[in-house]
Amino acid sequence: MDLDPDEVAVGDELPTYSRPGSVLAWARYGAVNPVHIVGHHFEDEVARREGFDAAFIPAPLEHAYLHTMLRNWMGRSGRVLSLDIRLRRPLIRGRTLTAGGTVTALRRHGDAVSVSLDLWERDDLGELLAPGRAEVELRR
Amino acid sequence: MITEEMRALVGTAMDEQTSYPIAASDIRRWALAVYHPDRPPPEFWDEDDPVTIAAGGLVAPDEFNPLAWTAQDPRPRFSDPGLPVAKVGAFEAALGVEPPAFRAVLQGEIRARYGVVRMRPGDVIHSVSSISEYFEREGRMGLQLYTTISEVLTNQDGEWVKTIDTVFVRY
Repeated sequence: MDLDPDEVAVGDELPTYSRPGSVLAWARYGAVNPVHIVGHHFEDEVARREGFDAAFIPAPLEHAYLHTMLRNWMGRSGRVLSLDIRLRRPLIRGRTLTAGGTVTALRRHGDAVSVSLDLWERDDLGELLAPGRAEVELRR
Repeated sequence: MITEEMRALVGTAMDEQTSYPIAASDIRRWALAVYHPDRPPPEFWDEDDPVTIAAGGLVAPDEFNPLAWTAQDPRPRFSDPGLPVAKVGAFEAALGVEPPAFRAVLQGEIRARYGVVRMRPGDVIHSVSSISEYFEREGRMGLQLYTTISEVLTNQDGEWVKTIDTVFVRY
Protein backbone atom coordinates (compact mmCIF):
# COMPACT_ATOMS: atom_id res chain seq x y z
CA MET A 1 0.00 0.00 0.00
CA ASP A 2 1.45 3.39 -1.01
CA LEU A 3 1.29 6.26 1.43
CA ASP A 4 -1.06 9.11 0.51
CA PRO A 5 1.04 12.29 0.84
CA ASP A 6 -2.07 14.30 1.68
CA GLU A 7 -2.63 12.20 4.80
CA VAL A 8 0.83 12.79 6.27
CA ALA A 9 1.01 15.28 9.14
CA VAL A 10 3.66 16.65 11.47
CA GLY A 11 3.79 14.45 14.53
CA ASP A 12 2.87 11.24 12.71
CA GLU A 13 4.64 8.20 14.12
CA LEU A 14 6.00 5.65 11.67
CA PRO A 15 5.19 1.98 12.16
CA THR A 16 8.09 0.47 14.07
CA TYR A 17 10.40 -2.12 12.56
CA SER A 18 12.20 -4.80 14.59
CA ARG A 19 15.01 -7.19 13.85
CA PRO A 20 16.86 -9.69 16.08
CA GLY A 21 20.49 -9.17 16.99
CA SER A 22 21.54 -12.44 15.44
CA VAL A 23 24.83 -13.45 13.87
CA LEU A 24 22.73 -15.36 11.34
CA ALA A 25 21.28 -12.06 10.09
CA TRP A 26 24.74 -10.48 10.15
CA ALA A 27 26.17 -13.43 8.19
CA ARG A 28 23.56 -12.88 5.46
CA TYR A 29 24.57 -9.23 5.30
CA GLY A 30 28.26 -10.17 5.26
CA ALA A 31 27.58 -12.45 2.31
CA VAL A 32 26.49 -9.49 0.19
CA ASN A 33 28.81 -6.86 1.71
CA PRO A 34 31.89 -8.82 2.78
CA VAL A 35 33.97 -5.94 4.11
CA HIS A 36 31.80 -6.43 7.19
CA ILE A 37 32.94 -9.99 7.75
CA VAL A 38 35.04 -8.77 10.66
CA GLY A 39 35.76 -10.50 13.96
CA HIS A 40 33.85 -8.10 16.21
CA HIS A 41 30.59 -8.86 14.36
CA PHE A 42 30.88 -12.62 14.86
CA GLU A 43 33.17 -13.40 17.79
CA ASP A 44 32.30 -12.27 21.30
CA GLU A 45 35.93 -12.44 22.39
CA VAL A 46 37.05 -10.01 19.69
CA ALA A 47 34.23 -7.61 20.57
CA ARG A 48 35.15 -7.79 24.28
CA ARG A 49 38.75 -6.88 23.50
CA GLU A 50 37.39 -3.75 21.84
CA GLY A 51 35.28 -2.86 24.90
CA PHE A 52 31.88 -4.36 24.11
CA ASP A 53 29.84 -7.03 25.87
CA ALA A 54 29.53 -9.34 22.87
CA ALA A 55 29.58 -9.43 19.07
CA PHE A 56 27.64 -6.57 17.51
CA ILE A 57 25.81 -5.57 14.35
CA PRO A 58 27.56 -4.12 11.26
CA ALA A 59 26.79 -0.39 11.26
CA PRO A 60 25.62 -0.22 7.61
CA LEU A 61 23.02 -2.90 8.37
CA GLU A 62 21.57 -0.59 11.05
CA HIS A 63 21.50 2.11 8.38
CA ALA A 64 19.85 -0.32 5.94
CA TYR A 65 17.16 -1.20 8.50
CA LEU A 66 16.14 2.47 8.64
CA HIS A 67 15.86 2.53 4.84
CA THR A 68 13.67 -0.57 5.05
CA MET A 69 11.45 1.02 7.69
CA LEU A 70 11.04 4.14 5.55
CA ARG A 71 10.23 2.09 2.44
CA ASN A 72 7.68 0.04 4.40
CA TRP A 73 6.02 3.30 5.45
CA MET A 74 6.19 5.16 2.12
CA GLY A 75 5.47 2.36 -0.28
CA ARG A 76 6.31 3.22 -3.86
CA SER A 77 5.09 6.79 -3.60
CA GLY A 78 8.27 7.97 -1.94
CA ARG A 79 12.02 8.02 -2.15
CA VAL A 80 14.78 8.73 0.34
CA LEU A 81 16.73 11.94 -0.26
CA SER A 82 19.01 11.65 2.74
CA LEU A 83 19.41 9.46 5.79
CA ASP A 84 21.85 10.18 8.62
CA ILE A 85 22.47 7.96 11.61
CA ARG A 86 24.66 8.46 14.69
CA LEU A 87 25.84 5.18 16.12
CA ARG A 88 25.93 5.69 19.87
CA ARG A 89 25.89 2.03 20.91
CA PRO A 90 25.87 -1.06 18.74
CA LEU A 91 23.16 -3.70 18.84
CA ILE A 92 24.71 -6.55 20.80
CA ARG A 93 24.18 -10.19 19.88
CA GLY A 94 21.09 -11.54 21.61
CA ARG A 95 19.28 -8.21 21.90
CA THR A 96 16.50 -7.01 19.60
CA LEU A 97 16.57 -3.79 17.59
CA THR A 98 13.44 -1.70 17.11
CA ALA A 99 13.43 1.31 14.81
CA GLY A 100 10.89 4.10 14.65
CA GLY A 101 10.43 7.68 13.56
CA THR A 102 8.36 10.84 13.72
CA VAL A 103 7.42 13.35 11.04
CA THR A 104 8.90 16.71 12.06
CA ALA A 105 8.22 18.94 9.04
CA LEU A 106 6.38 19.00 5.70
CA ARG A 107 6.93 21.15 2.63
CA ARG A 108 4.43 20.82 -0.19
CA HIS A 109 5.54 21.81 -3.70
CA GLY A 110 3.46 20.84 -6.72
CA ASP A 111 2.81 17.12 -6.78
CA ALA A 112 5.55 16.42 -4.27
CA VAL A 113 5.78 16.64 -0.51
CA SER A 114 9.16 16.80 1.21
CA VAL A 115 9.06 15.23 4.63
CA SER A 116 11.60 15.61 7.44
CA LEU A 117 11.78 12.84 10.01
CA ASP A 118 13.52 12.14 13.30
CA LEU A 119 14.48 8.48 13.50
CA TRP A 120 15.67 6.20 16.28
CA GLU A 121 16.83 2.70 16.97
CA ARG A 122 16.59 1.17 20.46
CA ASP A 123 17.29 -2.24 21.87
CA ASP A 124 14.88 -4.27 23.98
CA LEU A 125 16.45 -2.87 27.17
CA GLY A 126 15.35 0.59 26.06
CA GLU A 127 18.87 1.81 25.28
CA LEU A 128 19.04 4.38 22.51
CA LEU A 129 21.37 2.82 19.96
CA ALA A 130 21.17 5.31 17.15
CA PRO A 131 19.31 8.56 16.60
CA GLY A 132 18.93 9.63 13.01
CA ARG A 133 17.34 12.03 10.58
CA ALA A 134 15.93 11.59 7.11
CA GLU A 135 14.48 13.62 4.29
CA VAL A 136 12.10 11.85 1.95
CA GLU A 137 10.00 12.95 -0.96
CA LEU A 138 6.46 11.69 -1.48
CA ARG A 139 4.58 11.99 -4.75
CA ARG A 140 0.86 11.93 -5.42
CA MET B 1 46.91 11.92 17.12
CA ILE B 2 46.34 14.21 14.12
CA THR B 3 49.63 15.17 12.47
CA GLU B 4 50.25 17.87 9.88
CA GLU B 5 51.02 15.09 7.41
CA MET B 6 47.55 13.67 8.02
CA ARG B 7 45.85 17.07 7.70
CA ALA B 8 47.49 17.50 4.32
CA LEU B 9 45.60 14.43 3.07
CA VAL B 10 42.16 16.02 3.52
CA GLY B 11 40.37 16.25 0.20
CA THR B 12 42.82 14.04 -1.71
CA ALA B 13 41.31 11.06 -3.52
CA MET B 14 42.56 7.98 -1.67
CA ASP B 15 40.70 5.28 -3.54
CA GLU B 16 38.93 5.00 -6.89
CA GLN B 17 37.03 1.96 -8.03
CA THR B 18 34.82 1.05 -10.96
CA SER B 19 32.25 -1.69 -10.52
CA TYR B 20 31.51 -4.51 -12.88
CA PRO B 21 28.07 -4.08 -14.46
CA ILE B 22 25.47 -4.58 -11.75
CA ALA B 23 23.68 -7.92 -12.17
CA ALA B 24 20.02 -8.39 -11.34
CA SER B 25 21.07 -11.24 -9.06
CA ASP B 26 23.35 -8.86 -7.11
CA ILE B 27 20.32 -6.70 -6.34
CA ARG B 28 18.10 -9.68 -5.51
CA ARG B 29 20.64 -11.17 -3.11
CA TRP B 30 21.18 -7.83 -1.39
CA ALA B 31 17.46 -7.27 -0.88
CA LEU B 32 16.87 -10.82 0.34
CA ALA B 33 19.74 -10.54 2.85
CA VAL B 34 18.53 -7.24 4.31
CA TYR B 35 14.80 -8.07 4.36
CA HIS B 36 15.10 -11.68 5.56
CA PRO B 37 12.78 -13.31 6.58
CA ASP B 38 10.38 -10.84 4.91
CA ARG B 39 9.81 -10.63 1.17
CA PRO B 40 11.46 -7.52 -0.31
CA PRO B 41 9.43 -5.10 -2.42
CA PRO B 42 9.01 -6.44 -5.98
CA GLU B 43 11.00 -3.64 -7.61
CA PHE B 44 14.12 -5.26 -6.12
CA TRP B 45 13.52 -8.78 -7.45
CA ASP B 46 10.42 -9.26 -9.66
CA GLU B 47 11.00 -8.12 -13.23
CA ASP B 48 7.47 -9.18 -14.17
CA ASP B 49 5.69 -7.13 -11.52
CA PRO B 50 3.49 -4.53 -13.30
CA VAL B 51 4.75 -1.65 -11.18
CA THR B 52 8.35 -2.73 -11.73
CA ILE B 53 7.73 -2.76 -15.47
CA ALA B 54 6.06 0.65 -15.33
CA ALA B 55 9.07 1.99 -13.42
CA GLY B 56 11.45 0.81 -16.13
CA GLY B 57 12.61 -2.45 -14.55
CA LEU B 58 14.44 -3.54 -11.45
CA VAL B 59 16.18 -0.97 -9.26
CA ALA B 60 18.65 -1.41 -6.43
CA PRO B 61 17.90 -0.30 -2.89
CA ASP B 62 19.48 3.09 -2.23
CA GLU B 63 21.92 1.57 0.24
CA PHE B 64 23.09 -1.16 -2.19
CA ASN B 65 26.89 -1.39 -2.49
CA PRO B 66 27.82 -2.13 -6.14
CA LEU B 67 31.48 -2.59 -5.14
CA ALA B 68 30.86 -5.06 -2.36
CA TRP B 69 32.89 -8.02 -3.57
CA THR B 70 35.33 -6.61 -6.09
CA ALA B 71 35.79 -4.02 -8.79
CA GLN B 72 37.10 -3.79 -12.35
CA ASP B 73 39.86 -1.50 -11.25
CA PRO B 74 40.44 -2.43 -7.65
CA ARG B 75 42.93 0.01 -6.23
CA PRO B 76 44.64 -0.34 -3.87
CA ARG B 77 43.17 -3.55 -2.47
CA PHE B 78 44.87 -5.95 -4.88
CA SER B 79 46.99 -3.56 -6.91
CA ASP B 80 50.46 -4.31 -5.61
CA PRO B 81 51.20 -7.75 -4.22
CA GLY B 82 54.43 -6.38 -2.80
CA LEU B 83 52.58 -4.19 -0.31
CA PRO B 84 51.40 -5.59 3.01
CA VAL B 85 47.65 -5.96 3.37
CA ALA B 86 46.41 -2.70 4.83
CA LYS B 87 44.98 -2.99 8.33
CA VAL B 88 41.29 -2.14 8.34
CA GLY B 89 41.00 1.51 9.26
CA ALA B 90 44.56 2.41 8.25
CA PHE B 91 43.22 4.91 5.72
CA GLU B 92 46.33 7.06 5.48
CA ALA B 93 48.42 4.13 4.26
CA ALA B 94 46.68 4.36 0.87
CA LEU B 95 48.30 7.79 0.45
CA GLY B 96 51.68 6.76 1.77
CA VAL B 97 51.31 8.25 5.25
CA GLU B 98 51.85 6.26 8.43
CA PRO B 99 48.47 5.84 10.18
CA PRO B 100 48.23 6.56 13.91
CA ALA B 101 48.32 3.59 16.26
CA PHE B 102 44.91 2.22 17.20
CA ARG B 103 43.48 -1.01 18.57
CA ALA B 104 39.97 -0.80 17.14
CA VAL B 105 38.02 1.03 14.45
CA LEU B 106 34.26 1.51 14.45
CA GLN B 107 31.75 3.44 12.39
CA GLY B 108 30.35 6.29 14.46
CA GLU B 109 28.10 8.00 11.96
CA ILE B 110 26.79 7.42 8.44
CA ARG B 111 25.37 10.27 6.35
CA ALA B 112 23.85 9.36 3.00
CA ARG B 113 22.66 11.69 0.22
CA TYR B 114 20.86 10.24 -2.80
CA GLY B 115 20.39 11.58 -6.31
CA VAL B 116 17.38 11.16 -8.55
CA VAL B 117 19.11 8.45 -10.58
CA ARG B 118 18.70 4.91 -9.20
CA MET B 119 21.14 2.03 -9.67
CA ARG B 120 19.84 -0.59 -12.09
CA PRO B 121 21.06 -3.84 -13.65
CA GLY B 122 23.79 -3.13 -16.19
CA ASP B 123 24.96 0.08 -14.53
CA VAL B 124 28.69 0.55 -14.04
CA ILE B 125 29.33 2.61 -10.92
CA HIS B 126 32.44 4.67 -10.29
CA SER B 127 33.45 5.48 -6.73
CA VAL B 128 35.91 8.07 -5.46
CA SER B 129 36.77 8.18 -1.76
CA SER B 130 38.65 10.80 0.19
CA ILE B 131 39.30 11.84 3.78
CA SER B 132 37.11 14.90 4.29
CA GLU B 133 37.63 15.65 8.00
CA TYR B 134 39.63 14.77 11.11
CA PHE B 135 38.82 15.60 14.71
CA GLU B 136 39.53 14.23 18.17
CA ARG B 137 37.26 13.76 21.15
CA GLU B 138 37.48 12.14 24.57
CA GLY B 139 35.16 9.15 24.81
CA ARG B 140 34.58 6.16 27.03
CA MET B 141 37.51 4.47 25.30
CA GLY B 142 39.84 7.43 25.97
CA LEU B 143 41.06 9.86 23.30
CA GLN B 144 39.36 8.91 20.05
CA LEU B 145 40.28 9.93 16.51
CA TYR B 146 37.34 10.68 14.22
CA THR B 147 37.96 10.42 10.49
CA THR B 148 35.28 11.13 7.90
CA ILE B 149 35.59 9.22 4.63
CA SER B 150 33.48 10.67 1.84
CA GLU B 151 32.59 8.37 -1.04
CA VAL B 152 30.97 9.78 -4.17
CA LEU B 153 29.33 7.34 -6.57
CA THR B 154 28.42 8.14 -10.18
CA ASN B 155 27.13 5.95 -12.99
CA GLN B 156 28.44 5.23 -16.48
CA ASP B 157 26.84 8.44 -17.76
CA GLY B 158 28.53 10.53 -15.11
CA GLU B 159 25.26 11.03 -13.24
CA TRP B 160 25.52 11.43 -9.48
CA VAL B 161 24.01 8.46 -7.66
CA LYS B 162 24.89 9.08 -4.03
CA THR B 163 27.42 10.37 -1.53
CA ILE B 164 28.15 8.48 1.65
CA ASP B 165 30.04 10.18 4.49
CA THR B 166 31.15 7.68 7.09
CA VAL B 167 32.71 8.88 10.33
CA PHE B 168 35.13 6.26 11.60
CA VAL B 169 36.26 6.22 15.23
CA ARG B 170 39.73 4.89 15.98
CA TYR B 171 40.93 4.28 19.54
